[in-house]
Amino acid sequence: MTETTKERVVFFALGVPMVMCLIVFFWIVAILSSGAGTLNFAMLTTSALQGGLFEMIVGTIYLLLGAAGVAGPIGILAAVYLVEYAPSGKITRIIDQAINNLAGVPSIVIGLFGFAFFTTQLGFGRSLAAGWLTLSLMMLPIVIRGTEEALKLVPPSFQEASLALGTTKWRAITATTLPSAAPGIVTSVILGIARVAGETAAILFTSCVLITRGLPKSPFEPIMALAYNMFVRIVAIGDPAESVFGIALVLFLIVAVFAVIAIVIRTYYRRRQPWLR
Amino acid sequence: MSKRNIRKTIFHVFSRIKEQPIELVLFLCASFSIVILFLMLLFVASEGALAFSNFGLDFIIGQVWDTNAGLYGAFPLIFSSVMVSMGALAIAIPLGLGTSIFITEVVPFSIRDIIKSIIELLASIPSVIYGFIGIIFLIPAIASVFGIYSGYTALAASLLLAIMAVPTIVGVSGETLSAVPKDYKEASLALGATKLQTLRHVILPIAKSGILASVMLGFGRAVGETVAVLMVVGNRAQIPVPPWNFLNPVYPITSVIAMQMGEASLYSEEYSALFGLGLILFIFTFIVNTIADIVVRREGKVGGRKK
Amino acid sequence: MERKDLTGISTMVAVLGMIVLLIVGFAAGYYLNTPSSTSTDDDSAWRTQSITLAGSTTVLPIANASAVDFMNIYSGVTVTVSGGGSGTGYSNIIDDVVDIGMGSREPKQSEIDNAKTKGRPMYLYPIALDAVCVVVNPSVDGGNQLGLTLQMIGQIFSGEYTRWNQIDSSLPDQEIFVVVREPGSGTRGTFEEFTMDPWDYEVTTAANARQSNPEVVTTVSGTPYSIGYVGFGFLNQDMHTVSVYSESQGDLVLPTAASIADQTYPMSRYLYLVTNERPASGSLTDRFMDFIYSSAGQDIVEQKGFLKLPEYP
Repeated sequence: MTETTKERVVFFALGVPMVMCLIVFFWIVAILSSGAGTLNFAMLTTSALQGGLFEMIVGTIYLLLGAAGVAGPIGILAAVYLVEYAPSGKITRIIDQAINNLAGVPSIVIGLFGFAFFTTQLGFGRSLAAGWLTLSLMMLPIVIRGTEEALKLVPPSFQEASLALGTTKWRAITATTLPSAAPGIVTSVILGIARVAGETAAILFTSCVLITRGLPKSPFEPIMALAYNMFVRIVAIGDPAESVFGIALVLFLIVAVFAVIAIVIRTYYRRRQPWLR
Repeated sequence: MSKRNIRKTIFHVFSRIKEQPIELVLFLCASFSIVILFLMLLFVASEGALAFSNFGLDFIIGQVWDTNAGLYGAFPLIFSSVMVSMGALAIAIPLGLGTSIFITEVVPFSIRDIIKSIIELLASIPSVIYGFIGIIFLIPAIASVFGIYSGYTALAASLLLAIMAVPTIVGVSGETLSAVPKDYKEASLALGATKLQTLRHVILPIAKSGILASVMLGFGRAVGETVAVLMVVGNRAQIPVPPWNFLNPVYPITSVIAMQMGEASLYSEEYSALFGLGLILFIFTFIVNTIADIVVRREGKVGGRKK
Repeated sequence: MERKDLTGISTMVAVLGMIVLLIVGFAAGYYLNTPSSTSTDDDSAWRTQSITLAGSTTVLPIANASAVDFMNIYSGVTVTVSGGGSGTGYSNIIDDVVDIGMGSREPKQSEIDNAKTKGRPMYLYPIALDAVCVVVNPSVDGGNQLGLTLQMIGQIFSGEYTRWNQIDSSLPDQEIFVVVREPGSGTRGTFEEFTMDPWDYEVTTAANARQSNPEVVTTVSGTPYSIGYVGFGFLNQDMHTVSVYSESQGDLVLPTAASIADQTYPMSRYLYLVTNERPASGSLTDRFMDFIYSSAGQDIVEQKGFLKLPEYP
């Protein structure tokens, strides 16, 4: 066998896993969309009391936006510190390591912590607020890493130009670096949302209930969410899996919308950044 | 000292005064992760401490987990977690590495982004949906392919986990592969080496530790995954006979916590045992992630990777 | 300037998207939270109050369906239900976190002690009976009533007996086809609590798992030499019910409404609601309990595969 044929064979063989991954993805989408028949538009706007999904959909979105509201600002500011201010020393290394480790903490452990700390110790009870804080812990590393990447892509010349005009560093960052990195930062937040949108283990003990009336009137009330409802109905109540097809599909669509928006912005932005060419 | 210099100094001092509070706020935000990790360890450990003091070493090496009988031996659970994750890696490593090498070395630049995005979407699919698909499709498929009565097995969990770990492996290893300096590759090709030889003798050795790190991170992800596993793994706290029999139900740590937390009354023996399990999980993933991080860092120096 | 336009647009799209979602959500929330019709004949406080329930997943289907129906009848009240387990149910009542707990077992001694220390007595209200009936395909007993002890049932389901004639030589010389429910099912939990757990038996790997009571019925009535178990509400003529040896009676007892109600049938238990004070007459808690005890509530009990309380035939 010549080197070229050998090469072709090996590279072809390496292509097989990739094709398999793509097949798995489309096959999952196909299975989920086969449940589209169980769903109708009315269900999306009907209250759970009439068998609809409305409160669960809005509840899921409440959870996500609140968590993004906590993790977003903290994560962005943390990333600004790490990229623009942090001296390359031991403390910075420890912070860096901590972020990686936080990203690796299993969601069930975050859920346990959320239960012990927010729900029980701080007395939030099973509530939206406890869910926000718990989910924000899962979102934080994603936001920090994404923002860092976006900030690093901004050429230092932008900031230098601003500094040369005699502004302070913080002014220079807010005036030039942050706006230039804005799409990347927004992407990282949306990606963070997509990543926790279907999270179940973390909200299992902290914020969700199976049924209640309407939406919470304050952050200290519990909430209904798609992922929790789906999980409890299959695992605890023992409903046949087919009965939650509609919920699964809606949840998938919500996650997919967030993920696709993030990916599209990022791709578009990367391709069009003139200074990256 | 000229007037201009004085003005400059004054301006400098003022800007420092304005800067410092901001820098402090930023620093606090950045160290938030440390604070949270510390609090997490504190709370999970303090709630779980009772389990370790009550059962001692038996909590880790004990063979029987039966909360009704007050027996808390977590060994079968730890075994289940490791078994299911190892099984997942056996599938995910070839799948993930093959994919990432193929994407970086073969796929043309123009469609690379699309494929990467699809694999990233794979990571965004919620675990409860993976579990759902497992129940709908995988469980009956396994039952009929292997001719067993129940498809709720370690194998089903491993298969789902493999799909879930692939994006992690592709992401991290792909990053290292594409970070291999172009000069190395071009030099090798210029010397007359084929693309394959370049891959084997130049690129892979440089990216070796990054690949290793990606596998470890994938392992960490698999060990910590809860909901998808719980829904298909059969939840039986017994080491299979023989231990490598993937067609048996098992009961990984994460599933035990999620399933039994509701049954435990607050601050009871069972409650602390479940937090004890959480602590084991926390420490385990902490170690795995830290090692992966160190590996990546070291590689950063050896491979001459910038940044 | 291309750059600036672009950053502006994509950021704005994303931010706007979020704001729209938020507004839609809150508007809808307001709409849903405003009771559509409030009856004005009786303006007592309970009509706008809310209560919470948590606990046993076995009771969860009953509580869930009852809460939905109750809220549909009284448009101003809120009944919040979450799961957990019996442990959650009792501890939440002891800690006064919920108004009503749900339990599929009686409180453990430790829970009773804990309640005493906290000074909150527990009041248990049985709301339904849960009985697991062992059923066989008619080919097994050939018309003669089959009777087994709890341990023998355990031995069959754990795979110690694999052929029918190993149990009794008069039974067919055929392999036993074992049908069980999936792990996590409440019926399976009850079944194993009585037949497997006392002897530390584990369900045989050869067991055939089914997702729901109706599926077990289909399998057992359609498969010769099969054995399975279902909730009392799912018994039918196509399968034969096994009578079980009762220690207290010293005799075999067939599951019937009467034998389950007086607990002579061994594989039965009560499902409870629990409170930490006697609900004041006319309070929301009281009315919700009344609803579950009403014929509408007891119909839900039956519909979910459990038995109505004996006083509600």
